[in-house]
Amino acid sequence: MPGRTRPIDRFAAAAAKCSKEGSAYGKCILADYNNVHKDKCVTEFLKLKECYIVGFGSSWIWTY
Amino acid sequence: MATLSVRAFIPPLARRCLPRQSVRRYAVQAPGAPTLEIFSHQHKWMQKERAARNAGASRDVDYLRDEVASRLCERLLDINRHFPNVLDLGANACNIARMLTLPSLDSPDAGPRAQRVGKLTAADSSETLLYRDASLPFNSEIDVHRHVLSTSETLPYEANSFDAVLSSLSLHWINDLPSVLAQVNNILKPDSPFIGVMMGGDSLFELRTSLQLAELDRRGGVSTHTSPLADVRDVGGLLQRAGFNLLTVDVDDIVVDFPDTFSLMKDLQAMGESNAVISREKGGVQRDVLLAAEHIYRALHGNEDGSQPATFRMIYMIGWKPSPKQAKPLERGTGMFSIKDFLEKEGEKKRDGKE
Repeated sequence: MPGRTRPIDRFAAAAAKCSKEGSAYGKCILADYNNVHKDKCVTEFLKLKECYIVGFGSSWIWTY
Repeated sequence: MATLSVRAFIPPLARRCLPRQSVRRYAVQAPGAPTLEIFSHQHKWMQKERAARNAGASRDVDYLRDEVASRLCERLLDINRHFPNVLDLGANACNIARMLTLPSLDSPDAGPRAQRVGKLTAADSSETLLYRDASLPFNSEIDVHRHVLSTSETLPYEANSFDAVLSSLSLHWINDLPSVLAQVNNILKPDSPFIGVMMGGDSLFELRTSLQLAELDRRGGVSTHTSPLADVRDVGGLLQRAGFNLLTVDVDDIVVDFPDTFSLMKDLQAMGESNAVISREKGGVQRDVLLAAEHIYRALHGNEDGSQPATFRMIYMIGWKPSPKQAKPLERGTGMFSIKDFLEKEGEKKRDGKE
């Protein structure tokens, strides 16, 4: 729809800004991807998420 | 027993959800093996309707269907015949009809492919998607009839009525594939081909694996985000079971590069190809998982230029309805000529020619 930014587009734009944190997280998962368990890379992910929330702006509602 | 029906007053979307008749029946065990229901037809239908309502976005993502439909049409033209009555089963936005109005890639000057086809019946369960392009100019160049199916798993056609049945990128949403293929076999005239293509095997394995890894790390388990798909070796068995002869099955990988995972997902949604597995987790993918998957995709499968490839594996299948007139393989041991000798001779000739 014209004149309306879909949330997914804002999401993608914010994701593109965090490539450094993102690649750190990706590398952490890939280091041993046959043995991934819950919160394996939680520190890298939290850094990524922080960068993300900053990029997305104040209206971000993080859902669990 | 005549009952007064209020069906006409219910809005169309809600009407789809209601059973057709409110007549009480005895509960009976259905004969034969019960069908396992994997995909929700209701949900698939709704996704397609919604996607097609935005005609612009829906046309933008026709690249995959057009390309596959075009390759399917080339396979149809390989058969040296005229087809007076053809069915396009699961027509989506009549992509096959549009591709038939273009000239063949092998002989661009020979005129449109549609010369070889008479009447084309395009059948699909989603009305909006089927009629999306009904006002475009290509409709006047081919004798296309649109037919909205009430369900994509029952074909309301007479036996022995079609000279060919085509199907492009819709069979992968069918629950009971053996039954649909057997019905296709039934509506074909003897010695007529069924040419189909479906998404299969390792399609979208990049998306599948990165979502799985992301969910494992973020949530500690996996849920279904991509459909289970038929494999190449299943397809031969399926066609054989449905009673087809002279089978040909081949595989074609189409790799599309996307800027990021979100573009891939948006395109899939605009195609109406979002997840419709019944056992899927209701609601969208969690944002945590989405964020993690995007970066895992990039790290695991990303190209050097920063784009992310997505593989679509197409399985093409050709089967012929049996007929007594059809060419049959000769009996074992009746060969007069050894292919081994021939190939060896040819090899020697080539070698001599090079030296």
